[in-house]
Amino acid sequence: MNGRAPLLSVRDLVVRYGAITALDGVSLEVGEGEIVAIIGPNGAGKSTLLSTVAGLRRPDAGGISFAGTPIAGGALEGTVRRGIAYVPEGRHVFAGLTVLENLELGATVRRDRAEARAHLESFLDAFPILRERAGEAAGRLSGGEQQMLVIARGLLSKPRLLMLDEPSLGLAPKIVDQVYELVTSLRRDGLTVLVVEQNAGRALAAADRTYVLNAGRVRLQGRSAELTGAPDFDAAYFGLKD
Amino acid sequence: MGNLNPIQILVDTVSVGGLYALTALGLGLIFSVMRLANFAHAELVTCAAYAVFALSGQPVAVAIVASVGTAMVLALATERLAFRPLRSADQTTMLIASFAVSMFIQKLLIFTVGSRPKPVDPLPILAQPIAIAGAQVSLLKLATILACIACLGALTYLLRRTSIGLHMRAAAEDFTMAQLVGVRANSVILAAFVLSGFLAAVVALLFVAQTGFVHPRLGVQIVLVGFVATVIGGLGSLPGAAAGGFLVGALATLLQALLPAELRPFREAFLFLIVILVLLFRPNGLWPAPGLKERV
Ligand SMILES: Nc1ncnc2c1ncn2[C@@H]1O[C@H](COP(=O)(O)OP(=O)(O)OP(=O)(O)O)[C@@H](O)[C@H]1O
Ligand SMILES: [Mg+2]
Repeated sequence: MNGRAPLLSVRDLVVRYGAITALDGVSLEVGEGEIVAIIGPNGAGKSTLLSTVAGLRRPDAGGISFAGTPIAGGALEGTVRRGIAYVPEGRHVFAGLTVLENLELGATVRRDRAEARAHLESFLDAFPILRERAGEAAGRLSGGEQQMLVIARGLLSKPRLLMLDEPSLGLAPKIVDQVYELVTSLRRDGLTVLVVEQNAGRALAAADRTYVLNAGRVRLQGRSAELTGAPDFDAAYFGLKD
Repeated sequence: MGNLNPIQILVDTVSVGGLYALTALGLGLIFSVMRLANFAHAELVTCAAYAVFALSGQPVAVAIVASVGTAMVLALATERLAFRPLRSADQTTMLIASFAVSMFIQKLLIFTVGSRPKPVDPLPILAQPIAIAGAQVSLLKLATILACIACLGALTYLLRRTSIGLHMRAAAEDFTMAQLVGVRANSVILAAFVLSGFLAAVVALLFVAQTGFVHPRLGVQIVLVGFVATVIGGLGSLPGAAAGGFLVGALATLLQALLPAELRPFREAFLFLIVILVLLFRPNGLWPAPGLKERV
C-alpha cells in the first residue's frame, strides 16, 4: 500500500439479508495499482461484499470510501461514473444485443468518443473471436467468450477499479489462464483490481494481496506469497479458526 | 364492409392491424423497460382523442400537435407523479397504481366532459374513397397504413441506431446491469414514456378519424385489445408486440369480413378463442423476448 491513502477502503461493513448476516464487520483496503483477491468457500459473503461496494445493496453498518470519498447511496448508475467497473458473477452479457453493442454499452460514460472507439477496437484486436462475431447476439457466445466480453465491457468505461466476481467459474483451465493473463496485463496500465475467487490457488498466484473470507468475516489476510502454504490457511479458509 | 372485394378487405385488415400494432408497441415499450403493464396507456389515447375534439375548428396541424403534446405530457406526468415514487416497489403495486391512474383520469374525464360520445371528424380531406384496381378504397385507411409504417420505421431506427435506443434495449434486458454500465434509469424510462405517449396520440388520431366519435372509454377499448396482443406476441418483446397487435387487429377484421352474418356478433368470442388456443400451445407468446431471464 506504500503508505498512500487506499483507493478503496471498506470499514466494519455489515450487510444482512433479513435474518442472515452475510457480512459481519468486514474491513478491507485496496491500494491504487494493486491486485487484491478475496477468497473463501460458498456463502462466505464474497459476492455480497462486491455488490455492496457496487451500490446494489445498502450497508446495515460500516462504511465504504472510494478515492477518499464516502460512497453512500445514490443512484446505481453513479458507480461506474465514480470509476468502479463491476463485473458480477454469472457473466451478465446483454444476451439479445450484439457483441459490438455490448462493448459499446461499456463505453456509455465515456465522453472521449474517438478514444473510446479506438479502445473498443483494441479489444476486438486482442480477442479476434469477438471481432469475428461482432454482429451476433452475445448470448450465442461460449461461456469463456462471454467472460472476455463482460470484462472488456467493464474495462471500456476506463475504470480506476475493476471488480470481478468469480471470473473463472465454469471455464476450462486454458480459458481461465487467458482471463488471468488479461487481468495481470492490466496492472501495467495502472488499473486496480479486486477479484473474488473460489479457486484459491489461482487467486493467490495472480493477486498481490489476498483476504480469506468465511461466514461474513475476514479470517486471514496478507501478501499472497506469504499466505500460500501458511499453516493457518486451511483453517481460515474452511472456517475452523476463530 | 359491404361487398367482399379482396383489396378492400386487405386494406381494412392491414390498417386495423397497424393500429393495434402501434397500441401494443406503446404498451410494450413501457413493459420492456419497467416490467409495468400500464393500464393508464388507455387514458393517453383517450385524452389525445379529446384534444383533437377540443380543437375541432382549428387547422388539422394544430389538432395533431395538440393531441401528440397532450399524450406526451400526460405520459410524463403519470411517470413523475405515480410511477417514479413506486419504482422500487414490486410489480403488483405498480400494476395496481397504473390501474388507479387509469380509473382516476377516466372518471375525471366523465366528470368534466360527460360520458356521452361526441362527434369529431379531424381529417375530412381523407374521407373520400379512391379507386384501386376496381375497388373503392378509403383514403383514410391508406393514410393509416402509411402512418403505421412510418411509425414502425421511425421506432425501429430509434431503437436500433441511436444510443438512447441501445440504452433502452439494454435496460429492457437487464435493468440493473444497464445501470451498472452507466445507463441512466431516468433517461430510458422517460424516453419510453414519451414514445408511448406519441404512439398513443397517433392511434387516437387515426382511430377517431375512422370512427368519428370520442368518448371516455375509447382508449380502454383499444388498449385492452392491445394488452391481449402483447401477451400473444410475447411479453417484453417489441417485435412480438407489434406482430401480436397486427395479428389480433387483422384477425378481428378478417373475422368481421368473412364470418357469416349471423355469427358476426360473436366475432370477439372467436377472436379470444383463437387467443386462448395460441396461449395454450405457446404460453410465452409467439415471439417471446430472449432477455426475460435472471438478472444481476
Ligand atoms: N439475495 C439474497 N437473499 C438472501 N440471502 C442471500 C442473498 N444473497 C446472498 N445471501 C446469503 O448471504 C450469504 C453470503 O452470500 P454470497 O453470495 O455473498 O456468498 P459468496 O461468498 O459469494 O458465495 P459463492 O462462492 O457461492 O458465490 C449466504 O449465506 C447467502 O445465502
Ligand atoms: Mg458469490
